[in-house]
Amino acid sequence: MENNIALSSAHIVKYFYQPEPFKVLKDLSFEVEKGKFVSLVGKSGSGKSTLLYVLSTMDTDYEGELVVNGEKLTGKSRNQLAAFRNQHIGFVFQFHYLLPEFNVLDNVMLPAMKLNKLSRAEIESKAYENLKLLGLEEQALKLASKLSGGQQQRVAIARALINDPSIIMGDEPTGNLDSKNTEIVFDIFRRLAHERGQTIITVTHDEDFALKSDRIIELSDGEIVKS
Amino acid sequence: MIATNYKIAYVHLTSKIKQTVVALMGVTFGISMYVFMNSFMTGVNDTQNTLAFTSMSHVHIYNDGPADNTNLLKRVYGPNVLGDVRNAKVIQYVQGIKNPGDIIALVKKQSEVIALTSQVNINIFFRNAANKINGTLSGVDVENENRVFDIAHYMTDGNWNDLKYNPDGVILGAALADRLSLHINDNVNVLTPDGVSKTYKVIGLFQTNVANVDKTKAYLNINSARQLLSVNQDYLTDLQVNVQDYGTTAPLVNRLAPVIPYKVESWQTANQQLEAGSSLRDIIAVAVSLTILMVAGFGIYNIMNMTINEKIREIAILKAMGFSSGDVTTIFLTQAVVIGIAGGLIGMGLGYVLAVIINHVPFKIGGLDTLPMAYRLKDYILAFIFGLSTTLIAGYLPARKASQIDPVDIIRG
Repeated sequence: MENNIALSSAHIVKYFYQPEPFKVLKDLSFEVEKGKFVSLVGKSGSGKSTLLYVLSTMDTDYEGELVVNGEKLTGKSRNQLAAFRNQHIGFVFQFHYLLPEFNVLDNVMLPAMKLNKLSRAEIESKAYENLKLLGLEEQALKLASKLSGGQQQRVAIARALINDPSIIMGDEPTGNLDSKNTEIVFDIFRRLAHERGQTIITVTHDEDFALKSDRIIELSDGEIVKS
Repeated sequence: MIATNYKIAYVHLTSKIKQTVVALMGVTFGISMYVFMNSFMTGVNDTQNTLAFTSMSHVHIYNDGPADNTNLLKRVYGPNVLGDVRNAKVIQYVQGIKNPGDIIALVKKQSEVIALTSQVNINIFFRNAANKINGTLSGVDVENENRVFDIAHYMTDGNWNDLKYNPDGVILGAALADRLSLHINDNVNVLTPDGVSKTYKVIGLFQTNVANVDKTKAYLNINSARQLLSVNQDYLTDLQVNVQDYGTTAPLVNRLAPVIPYKVESWQTANQQLEAGSSLRDIIAVAVSLTILMVAGFGIYNIMNMTINEKIREIAILKAMGFSSGDVTTIFLTQAVVIGIAGGLIGMGLGYVLAVIINHVPFKIGGLDTLPMAYRLKDYILAFIFGLSTTLIAGYLPARKASQIDPVDIIRG
């Protein structure tokens, strides 16, 4: 049972100190199973994005304990966490954040080049594979900045997948997309979760999107109201 | 992995080519100015020294005259006894340098000595009918004199070596000849302090461009000078010594001074204004060029800061994807180093070209034809090192700032 848990958080508490001390997350404890597609929902200011960034290991300023893939991450140095993210966590953001001066293929390859486990040729073929999965193989050699918003978001997903992370996190990945592209992204996420067993955790405002996912964690005022 | 960081650095450098060129130009300009300023100042100093060394050797050995011993009572009885001595006279027991053979042999044995010449210098009056001019008649060892002072180079008329075979010939400074209305093959009369008068023939003229020398000096064969003074065949008043490196005379002087009972003086002590002039010019050159380099450094700092502010989201995303602080530092420091090395190489080339051009600018004063310039490897290497360190510092500060960016702050907005 234990090894079926992708991520678990225990008693997560976080404060914002500006403009005045404010308890954003109030003692959050939950677990996410492997291969689940989880939506984090809640009103603006409920703390859902804050929670996501704590889970993502990028925000280290919290109390409590975070365990991903059985590895305790609380208390590790920033560079150790960076190395962990590189291998185990993929990110998709609302604003696609590709490197505009690189072509699509290079953008997708970057995290794998950083990980440096495969040869360049292997990484390249894998990147092509991922782009194909997302229907972007035609665009591989175009500059990232020349693509449409929906295409860029799919490139970002391809990039998030390149190191076969066990968890993919999204911060409103469809927030900037029209309904057709939202549909596409949702399908990709669901396939990743169900066919490849990757865990998906996304923050979303989109109720339809959330309803279609496997599990909804709803936050309100820093507390889990529905899980 | 490292290659990935270099690739990102390369893309940053090439995608904003204008910015890169501006930063590059800053370094290039700074380094070329450093090279040029130092070459020019060294050239000026070298010219100044060459000019000075036409009438001055590196080390000068001479009889400084006896110490002031006129108040003997005070020396014997101390300051508490009142004594009165009037019209005291100083007697110089030894004229010139006594026992010169041993001293010459000793000096010649020193490893850094490359040339040495003996002189008999006499203060005299030059007379041509009504014209009387006070000056110095220098009895010289013709060949060695030329070795130390390269005087043949400054002959404007006649032949330096003729002095060797003409016991009654003199070579006059051009300005001196002018003031006496003398030309080559004319006769000139000299009058020594002891009242001896003799007539010589002008067999040559020289011009060192040191006005003081050209206006007052004449050369004579050393044996004729001894004859004029009625002294022995060993007599001499001055020993002029040249060493390999005129910059370092102190060791020789320190070694010789205790064992030679005469004044041993380096050119630096005798002409502190020259030394001061050289040092001050060097300081100005370094100050100006370092200022320029610093301005270039601020330019790089600015441009790097701008780049980092522009790319702040990319940096955040790189960190989110797992790039460490060290990776981010590498990415931006690489850009600074590339700019520093490229700017340094181009700057050295540009500095050289600038130096060559300025070296061809006509400048007809003091025996010069063009502006002086020195080409020393040291200046180029130092310029490169200074340039690279400036860019490193200017690049490191923004790179460190970039490496400390918190991705959460940037991505969440």
